[in-house]
Amino acid sequence: MSMPSIYKTLGTSVLMAGMAFGSAAALAADGPLRGNVRVVIGSTSTGGDTYQNSSIVADALAEHLDINMKVDAVGASSAFRFLDRDPRGNTLMIFHDQSYLGYLYGVEGYENIFEKYTIGPTVAINPGNAYLVPKDSPYQTLDDVIEAVGNGEEVRVAIQPGGVSEIGFSALKNAIAIEHPGMEENLVAVNTGSQADKNQQLFDDQADMINGTVQANEQYTRLPEDDQKAMRFLWLTARNSTIEQAPEDGLGQTTREQLLQYVEPNVNVTMGDDNFTFDKEFFFLYNKDMDQAIVNQIDQALAEIYAEGEIQETQKNAFFIPNFKPSDEAADYLESKMSVYEDIITNIQ
Amino acid sequence: MLDILSLLDITFFLLAALGALVGIIFGAIPGMTATMAVAVCLPLTYALGLNHGLALLLGLYVGGISGGMVPAVLLNIPGTPSSITTTFDGFPMAQKGEGERALRVCVVASLIGGLISAIVLFLFAPVLAEFSIKFSYVEKFLIILLALTVIASMSRNMLVGIFSGVLGIWLSLIGTYSISDGGNGHTRLMFDFLEPYLFEGFSLLPVLIGIFGIATILLEAEEGVKSGLAGKNIEFGKGGGFSFGIFKGRLTNLVRSSFIGTFVGMLPGVGGSAASVLAYTQEKNLSRDSSEMGKGAPQGLMASESANNALTGGALIPLLSLGIPGDSTTAILIGAFTLQGIQVGPLFIPENADTWYLMMIALVFANVVMFFLMFYAIKHIAKVVLVPKYILYPIIVMMCVVGAYAINYGIMFDVWTLLIFGVLGYLIQKVGLEVAPLIIGFILGGQAEVYFVKSLESFGTYSIFFTKSPIAVVLWGLIAASVAFSVTMSLKSRAKRRLEASS
Amino acid sequence: MESGLSSLLSVSIDFETSHLFFPHIIHWLMGGLFALILVFNVAPFLVAVRRGERTLPILGESMDKFRFFGTLALIVAYFYLMSVVGNFFPYTGYGFLFVSMAFLFLMSLMYMHTRTKRKVITAAINALVAPSLAWFILAKLFQITLP
Repeated sequence: MSMPSIYKTLGTSVLMAGMAFGSAAALAADGPLRGNVRVVIGSTSTGGDTYQNSSIVADALAEHLDINMKVDAVGASSAFRFLDRDPRGNTLMIFHDQSYLGYLYGVEGYENIFEKYTIGPTVAINPGNAYLVPKDSPYQTLDDVIEAVGNGEEVRVAIQPGGVSEIGFSALKNAIAIEHPGMEENLVAVNTGSQADKNQQLFDDQADMINGTVQANEQYTRLPEDDQKAMRFLWLTARNSTIEQAPEDGLGQTTREQLLQYVEPNVNVTMGDDNFTFDKEFFFLYNKDMDQAIVNQIDQALAEIYAEGEIQETQKNAFFIPNFKPSDEAADYLESKMSVYEDIITNIQ
Repeated sequence: MLDILSLLDITFFLLAALGALVGIIFGAIPGMTATMAVAVCLPLTYALGLNHGLALLLGLYVGGISGGMVPAVLLNIPGTPSSITTTFDGFPMAQKGEGERALRVCVVASLIGGLISAIVLFLFAPVLAEFSIKFSYVEKFLIILLALTVIASMSRNMLVGIFSGVLGIWLSLIGTYSISDGGNGHTRLMFDFLEPYLFEGFSLLPVLIGIFGIATILLEAEEGVKSGLAGKNIEFGKGGGFSFGIFKGRLTNLVRSSFIGTFVGMLPGVGGSAASVLAYTQEKNLSRDSSEMGKGAPQGLMASESANNALTGGALIPLLSLGIPGDSTTAILIGAFTLQGIQVGPLFIPENADTWYLMMIALVFANVVMFFLMFYAIKHIAKVVLVPKYILYPIIVMMCVVGAYAINYGIMFDVWTLLIFGVLGYLIQKVGLEVAPLIIGFILGGQAEVYFVKSLESFGTYSIFFTKSPIAVVLWGLIAASVAFSVTMSLKSRAKRRLEASS
Repeated sequence: MESGLSSLLSVSIDFETSHLFFPHIIHWLMGGLFALILVFNVAPFLVAVRRGERTLPILGESMDKFRFFGTLALIVAYFYLMSVVGNFFPYTGYGFLFVSMAFLFLMSLMYMHTRTKRKVITAAINALVAPSLAWFILAKLFQITLP
């Protein structure tokens, strides 16, 4: 090979790189949000609900705005850090109530999202947060549990500490403190990890009740009672109105009608005046200094996407409840939601 | 059964084969793993539909796990964490010029492991799932402890080896005591200013490729990158001296390792890397002629590779019969099911019999395709060592960077981890500590902590480790045997050395 | 006796400090082992060094300083510049692409012992093709985020 051919090779490569660059730039749409956008999520799992829901939304947005969007499951602490560093709008975040519950429970790595970030629109609800007991458990209803604890019986609940999995437990403890003051200490948390770990605590008889989800535990509730693994739903923390919106067939072979048995007003967890409910809602988080125009653009794009109605079908297929609220509304709504839970957590401390 | 045949079309097989091919490539690139291959292709499955999507993903899974053997043998860098024990014997063989032979042994062992675990999965999934839930934190801790005993038997100097292993465990504890494992989420073993970087600790994959890949390059650089080629006097052609005769008398090893792999894969939470480590330990302890292991013995390769491919079937057992993933790759497979609105759980197999049979067909087919692709491509793959070092090494660094950056979906600190552990790996070897025990300690340390602390939290006494269940007693027996074995081995070799010195 | 043993074995872990429980055990183990190593391995080794039978690791060895420290410096520059350049083109992978090209070429040059024209050209082509290929397949085809 002679010298000129190096230049030729070099030249061609530079040209090719230039073309690739050019084409990427040409892809960018007219709006303030342009180029390649990365959506980081607060979960490290690409098999979980956060990833699934985020990719439904990101795909729809990318198509609607004609930009590139990629969901990366980097986990909460990294996701917040990425968001901190990028005010340009190339990094967006999608997460759920864990983002402020982590802060309320004082988990390291969480700060007050309402002060530190701009809250974006909500997109969907995962209505599946549930509490289950073994099928042969003496507790037939959640009231039985509250009664038993009130009578001094110790009930152990397997949860993952510091967030979504704990909030229902805290609310239950709070309700017991209201109805049977002083007895709430008999409701004991068994701190454990993944869903597998929580189930295992039940199989090992190390817990009397576990936190779970409709999605992950529904099949267990249909096992025959003599099966060691069989479970029974006691309580879904979702609002009645949320489950009402679920597909009529429900999930697996548990219909919406059956699921409604486990939400208020059939199951009551009091907070004093009102009943406690908890919906796990997914929403966007933005860097505080990000251009307001981008906030508006995403709000508007999502409004249009939800008006078309296709995304709702996709979400419902995956057992998510569509729940679009533009960013202003979402921020107010979530902040008041947080203050309710803040009261519960301070009450039981 | 006829319905199933109608679901099988040429696309199904093509996708499984394509998956195996792409998986092998991912696995063969240092730093890219089976998990990553499955993760990046997951979005494609939505368009493909469930059955075709699963064919592709299972192909990727099998291919990805197998591909890890290539850099492990040829470059001494485990392509996936579960091929770490493959480096112990594979690389010494490659250095002796037997790279091609080593790879062929690995491929055959992989096929056997894959098929045995597929059969076990097919016949016994529900029964085994039932058995696997007998393993609580206590039993899982004992399994990890058993795997850790390999440290004693594989180190050159037992004291130094154990110290290296404990150092590895210590390194794995840096960061938070993770909430997702049920910990309290507090950080430890670091300074506050490091928290933004080390919050989640060091990730396994960058540590692994840093300590094996980057450290090797640093050691070479120190020597001046002398010889142009990475391998010495390689013999090519005629299968590189491979014949199936090498497997004579090794059936017990293959079957035992495959069962260990399947079994470890089946236990949720006990990571895949523990499978090959355990199989390797058991071969070392139980075989009559294990003295060559670690210096280039094919039996080590057989143990390691049959066990890590057997993981595939094993990890699918809890996924399909409990809805719980057996390892990180099957955790992503769950996404493929939920994307299609299908639940996995204890009723998956009875309610989705068609899908279940199709998955089995895809799994077996992917294993066979993997075998033929690899077995005949090895001749060419093994030539990697003929690439001059001044070309090869920069490429290795680049691919390590890509792998490290991509493993947690784009975190720059993971790339710096490469360098940190590259330098650490260099220093460790210089001061005479041992790398393999350190890495095994690192891999198993996190799990050891969670299972140990959680057991004590639940039961409040150390005696629970002995009295929990008959399974625990059996595991203690194995641990005691393993320790006793390594002690006698080291005494014997010391006596031998003394004899040689005096004569 | 029985109760004495069981109280010796019983342990209660406070959840708030449970993150320190296991590291504590490991620290003791490490300290103990380190002491043993000092006595049985390091001390005899140092004696041997003093007698001139052995040399100290790293310090006492000859090394190719240029290539060793060159490698370290290049890798540090590579990692650092990758994210700096990448920051100009968010999430396109160009940081990786362009900096890799430079890195590959420089590292190849450094590792060559004789720089013939042929070798330099091979290195240059490799430096252009390898990162482009990796970038195209991973960032474009598989949509993996690169710096």
